[in-house]
Amino acid sequence: MATPPNRPAAKPPTVKEQRADKRALQMAAFKKQEQTRKRTRRFGIIGAIVALAVVIGVVTTVIIVNANPPQSPPLSGELKDRVQLYPGLERTHVTTSVTYSQTPPAGGPHNPVWLNCGIYDVKQQNENAVHALEHGSVWITYDPATTTAAEITALEALTPTSYAILSPYPGIGDQMAISAWGAQLRFTEVDDPAIQEFIEQYWRSADSPEPNAPCTGGIDGPGRQR
Amino acid sequence: MTRPPGRIIAALVVLGLLLAGGGFLAGRAVAPAAITPTTDSAAAGFLRDMQVHHAQAVEMSLLVRDRTDDEAVRQLAYDIAVSQATQSGQMYGLLEAWNLPQASPAPAMTWALLPATDGSESGHHVDPTAPSGMPGMATADQIAELTAASGDDAVRLFLTLMIAHHQGGVDMADDVLARTDNSQVVSLATGIQRAQKAEIVAMQQMLAERS
Repeated sequence: MATPPNRPAAKPPTVKEQRADKRALQMAAFKKQEQTRKRTRRFGIIGAIVALAVVIGVVTTVIIVNANPPQSPPLSGELKDRVQLYPGLERTHVTTSVTYSQTPPAGGPHNPVWLNCGIYDVKQQNENAVHALEHGSVWITYDPATTTAAEITALEALTPTSYAILSPYPGIGDQMAISAWGAQLRFTEVDDPAIQEFIEQYWRSADSPEPNAPCTGGIDGPGRQR
Repeated sequence: MTRPPGRIIAALVVLGLLLAGGGFLAGRAVAPAAITPTTDSAAAGFLRDMQVHHAQAVEMSLLVRDRTDDEAVRQLAYDIAVSQATQSGQMYGLLEAWNLPQASPAPAMTWALLPATDGSESGHHVDPTAPSGMPGMATADQIAELTAASGDDAVRLFLTLMIAHHQGGVDMADDVLARTDNSQVVSLATGIQRAQKAEIVAMQQMLAERS
């Protein structure tokens, strides 16, 4: 049996043809529905990915923001190379004289009574001054034999008005020093910018054993000027 | 076009999430910078200078306690010494928490010369005659005088110096309140003012009774 050629249009579709047309229509509608569903699903997936990214971003940011800053700001270039650090110094109270490992001392065993902070024009007892260092003070020392009056005036000007001692220290020559508990900077010029950097880093620093303990109410050494 | 609302809802949800997430991120990134004062802020300057101011109040209070048997004065001095030492520690701790040096990059009271941010004319309580320019600070000579005094003389000198010292503290707190929104500094400065104003009244009365 040969397949018939194009059917005349006037001829009504057979039942079989009608069924096929209906099925085609249903198929098209189903495909469309399926497409819409797919697109919705795609949006859902994209949305979920974006939401996940946002959540990860927020969590990461919160962790970074809440991370503890470093305990003390890192030492900057020049000061870092020049400052001498003495970790693990002893903190016992003694009433005898002490032989310190550094000259002038930058911490160690000390007298129970601390030296009152201020400007002195006479050499002070190491054991009292070291106790002031334990309380967060800085101690600036110079050799009276090699330091001019103008240099002493400049040192007085850069000595903080509290928690700081300025005193002569015979024998150290042209190597002036600024000391804190466990840290010391030697310098030969009073306008050395590292002195200010040292003060910013160590004056009443949390690195000292007892920051904010007093630097008054101890003893006035001889020759107190201010 | 059977289900346009589904797509729109999905798009809106994504957009909403993006906006909320982005806003939150931006907020987190910006907020800490806004709430942590910088090293040259009035808040940081106040915390540094007020520690020096308080340290002198502690010193004077302990000096007078060693120089008199006047129980009312000894009690007041004990109160001032302990409360101001505590406040000093709070101020020290705030600077540490903000990772700022205790040492000031500028001379004392420079922060009080900054323009007020609350629109007021409040502040500029800088006293060039006082040590460090801080209002109410006793001079080294006055501290030496108190150290050398005893009995009722020491009490009268202490009360006179401490009334001026407290007034200076109230003025410094005024200066910072006009220049910061930091809640911790505002609460500290307000507390300092309240305590010291009350103590000024008490000390004026004590001084009148002992003159």
